[in-house]
Amino acid sequence: MDNPALIVAEVVSAILCFILVRFMMKPYRYMGESRYIGLPLGFAFLGVSYIFLGLAMFFESFLFVEEMKWMQLFTQAYAFAFLAVTYYFSKREFERRRLWWEITFAGLVFAAVVSYILVFEPPMFGLPSYKTVDEYFRLFNIICLAYITVHTLRSHAARPDSKTIWIPLSYLLLGFGQYSSLIWSLDSSFSAFVGAHFLRLAGLLVFLFVSYQTFYSSRETPQEEGS
Amino acid sequence: MKKLPRRDKLKIYGDLLSILNSEARREKIVLTRIQLRINVPFDRLKIYVAELKELGLIQDEPSLKLTEKGKQYLREYETVLDFMKRMGLTYQ
Repeated sequence: MDNPALIVAEVVSAILCFILVRFMMKPYRYMGESRYIGLPLGFAFLGVSYIFLGLAMFFESFLFVEEMKWMQLFTQAYAFAFLAVTYYFSKREFERRRLWWEITFAGLVFAAVVSYILVFEPPMFGLPSYKTVDEYFRLFNIICLAYITVHTLRSHAARPDSKTIWIPLSYLLLGFGQYSSLIWSLDSSFSAFVGAHFLRLAGLLVFLFVSYQTFYSSRETPQEEGS
Repeated sequence: MKKLPRRDKLKIYGDLLSILNSEARREKIVLTRIQLRINVPFDRLKIYVAELKELGLIQDEPSLKLTEKGKQYLREYETVLDFMKRMGLTYQ
């Protein structure tokens, strides 16, 4: 077993993600718009990816450890892809282009299924070295998170409000977490590895803080004017 | 002339409930005034009002106003809109 603290960090990250799924589901449920489904899906995939990583760390000599690592890689990339696509299609000009969203969504689901099959069918399609692919996937995750950060920052800049600055910050923390993971995979620096976990947890906690504050702290019954 | 973005039904329901809530202090709510604020054709506004009544979100006795269920819906709708704004998602 690897450092138990790191396994605990994976478990806590997964729990945080699954709590967040519950909040992220609300825009989809209340607005009835399929383009918002990417938000809960993204966090669900992220949670599953941390479970895969935690399992790979816990069962070091388990038969499917390599597969778990690959699954974690794909699942995490899909998580950020779903989130980035959701933000992309949330733009006003895409309101009437639902077909594009549906095609993109179907494409992502198809790619996810194919990649999971590939993981368990290595004899047919030999996979490259995990370490090399890991670095490319981290880069992809950073690009997705950079796009989302810029999108949310622009949204904040359009209508500045102290409440809307937290989400760009949390995406930025997740992005730096991925960057730290990339550094760790390049030079095996332990501080980068620990930093990646710390930044990721901080990012997820900010998400939780914002969700909790919106749905529980600032709840007020709409008052009839004049009453 | 700038084209207004299309609103889906849930958004119109939310806007309508919000306007009705803000008009609640008036002794009598006139639909034409609501129509000016919500910006939908009058015949469609009447359909939306009838649908909201059927859903139990508004009542017209003694005057048009939100029911407790309507207030609860409006509260949740506004909370979700606030959450989307915080998340940086556009919903016009």
